[in-house]
Amino acid sequence: MGTSESTTAGRTIRARAAGLTDQPLTLFTVAVFWMWLVVRWTNDFLLDGALIERNTSFFPTAPFEAAAAALGGLAASLGPVGFPVGWVAGFFEFLAASIPYLPPLATGVWATILLTVLGIALGFVIAVPLSVARVYGGSATRSVALGYTELFRGTPLLAQLFVLYFATPLTTVIRELPTVGTGFIPAQAFWVAVIAFMLNSAAYQSEYIRSALNSVPEGQLTAARSIGLSKVDGIRHVVLPQGLRYAIPGWSNELVYLIKYSSLASFITVRELFERTDAIASETYRYTELFVLAGLLYLALVISASLLMEYVEQRVAIPGLGTTGR
Amino acid sequence: MTDPLLELDDVYKSYGEEQVLSGVSFEMDAGDVDVVIGPSGSGKSTMLRCVNRLTEINDGDIYLDGDCVTDPDTDVNELRKQVGMVFQDFNLFAHLTALGNVTLGLRKVRGMDKEAARERGYEHLEQVGLLDQADSYPAELSGGQKQRVGIARALAMDPKLLLFDEPTSALDPELVGEVVEVMRDLAAEGITMLVVSHEMGFARSAASDIIFLDDGRIVEHGPPKQLFENPQAARTGEFLSRLETTHEGE
Amino acid sequence: MPPLPLQSDWAFVVGNLDLLLVGTGVTVALTAASILLGFLLGFPAGAVEVYGRGPLKRAVETAGVVLRGTPLLVIIILLFFGLSVSSSAFVTATIALGLRSAAYQSQIFRGALQSVDEGQLEAARAVGMGRLQAIRSVVVPQALRRSVPGFQNEFTIVLKDTSIAIVIGLGELLTVGQNLYQGGRSTAALEIFLTVSLIYFVLTFVTNRSLDYVDDHFSIPGGERA
Repeated sequence: MGTSESTTAGRTIRARAAGLTDQPLTLFTVAVFWMWLVVRWTNDFLLDGALIERNTSFFPTAPFEAAAAALGGLAASLGPVGFPVGWVAGFFEFLAASIPYLPPLATGVWATILLTVLGIALGFVIAVPLSVARVYGGSATRSVALGYTELFRGTPLLAQLFVLYFATPLTTVIRELPTVGTGFIPAQAFWVAVIAFMLNSAAYQSEYIRSALNSVPEGQLTAARSIGLSKVDGIRHVVLPQGLRYAIPGWSNELVYLIKYSSLASFITVRELFERTDAIASETYRYTELFVLAGLLYLALVISASLLMEYVEQRVAIPGLGTTGR
Repeated sequence: MTDPLLELDDVYKSYGEEQVLSGVSFEMDAGDVDVVIGPSGSGKSTMLRCVNRLTEINDGDIYLDGDCVTDPDTDVNELRKQVGMVFQDFNLFAHLTALGNVTLGLRKVRGMDKEAARERGYEHLEQVGLLDQADSYPAELSGGQKQRVGIARALAMDPKLLLFDEPTSALDPELVGEVVEVMRDLAAEGITMLVVSHEMGFARSAASDIIFLDDGRIVEHGPPKQLFENPQAARTGEFLSRLETTHEGE
Repeated sequence: MPPLPLQSDWAFVVGNLDLLLVGTGVTVALTAASILLGFLLGFPAGAVEVYGRGPLKRAVETAGVVLRGTPLLVIIILLFFGLSVSSSAFVTATIALGLRSAAYQSQIFRGALQSVDEGQLEAARAVGMGRLQAIRSVVVPQALRRSVPGFQNEFTIVLKDTSIAIVIGLGELLTVGQNLYQGGRSTAALEIFLTVSLIYFVLTFVTNRSLDYVDDHFSIPGGERA
């Protein structure tokens, strides 16, 4: 497993789940998480509730409630010695209370994942030319690229969301587009959020990619040009393949960041995980249970993302080319 | 063919205040092996890089096979298809195997299809004795092997002229020999080579001409026999004798 | 001559500049308090991750993973509505931001402590210093200097994250902007949020330059590679 702090210039700190990702228990839990999600989504969206009713959880609450009650009673009778038992009872109580909420939260997770994936993928498409402009562009292109990056990194994502949602006609424009809001296609607020994440993420990703490109020795481009490759082709076929590999640690940081900050989309009415949790909590007042549950779901997503990036890094690794020196 | 393959005509190059090349002129015929020697800072590498326009000259002209390459209208990429370069620091494409390094130019610049490029790639790797390392990455090769791949990469483009920029200076002494041997073979095959090097052994035995560059000017230009045994300029003799003593000490 | 409504939109913003400045003040105060809390918790946490062992180290690592893997929104809501750690939105926000920052600062310090060459510690022990003292007098000062770039980054992150405190109604800058917008002046949306963004931009810019100065001021002559 990669042990590196990134040696690419910059402050990216690999938020490595210190040793957690290596443990089989974690891998098992993550696998169970995804299996549950896939089954739930298939049932709700594709099979229209064929396996089990839409809002009913797969897991029964009765056994947990019974266990909680039994253990609670046992803890009480044991007196002060019974504290640990009391905790276990509390844990079962928590499970019993949270289980019914799993189905609507699963729907929220879907929106969260969609927001994140679209945001980061579209952001990447913008980030690559942006970083190439910063490294290889003339002074005019470089200034524009720098201006863009400074603007989006120097202001809060939430403020950017507000500007796009409240202060521009973006929502009205998107609402008029065909298919928006029909069937599987989410409504306009979702797309405004995607655009905000795309623009924001592009700025951060371009920073990671830029410093990675700067880590590629100058001689590589010189050699490429010496065999007759144009500057553009040289960058495309020689510099980028190496630079993008160096950018992987930063990129995985960005993925984790976006998973967490997708929750901000709730402020502009997108029904992702946080919004769903908040909606239920404000009705049932079970804030602690629900948000602990939401926290666990986000954690599962974050750990999954870290595992995925570690896998990607290993797959594209080239001997001698990587974060552990050249 | 009486027209020279390479001609430098009164070339000047300066970096700001610093004059690196002053009125450099010489000619090379096809099949010639010219070795450029001189003290460090004399402008040898710069002159080499002017030939394939990795560096642009300030004044004068450079002709390759009759065409003026320093003309602003000249397609630089076309020029570089005809002039190959081998670097002191190898500059192998780190993300590609040895075969990948050799075939990249064939595929992307000459537009060959994958299979044809592979064939040629293997040929050239065999030419430098590295057929068995075709699938190794640069990080897995020794310095001498890297440089030989670098030579194969340059050869693959079928250049009219091969430039060598201190090809052995970054190598450990015991690895120098394998590279020099490849260079000798190429010279014997009739490849036109312009070499900047300190390898006097190669210069003495394989070069058709030696160019002594000092302070941006050609001090002396002639066959090895002349420079080594009967130098026309005093400075040539001084420089060569200093070199001999350092090498003896090694 | 711009049409009257447009002129009044900007005039509206200018007229409410005092409110915006109060919001800015809250933002700055919240940032400072959170960073401080983050440092007080994060530095020892980082040290434990480098020098500690056993259950304490594992507990700290797990806490870090959880805090870094959970959205700030969730943490704030949990602390305010769920666990109700304080009735004050400012205090709760500080704790939430502080805990999150501590988790990230621990990583900065962990990296910085680890980057100080082991030979330094050995040399300190060789002159007879105890382990703790060696760490304190030789490794920590160097590590702190190396932490400045990461710290600079963290500062601006916290500064921007204060906007999330809007969810518990804290009167920081973005909340003020939002209130102005929703308080009946919806036409001024662009002007309000652009102004708010500009203020944030100025804050991050000033912070970065100041910390650049601190970095220069404290850097070791000749660089870090001893």
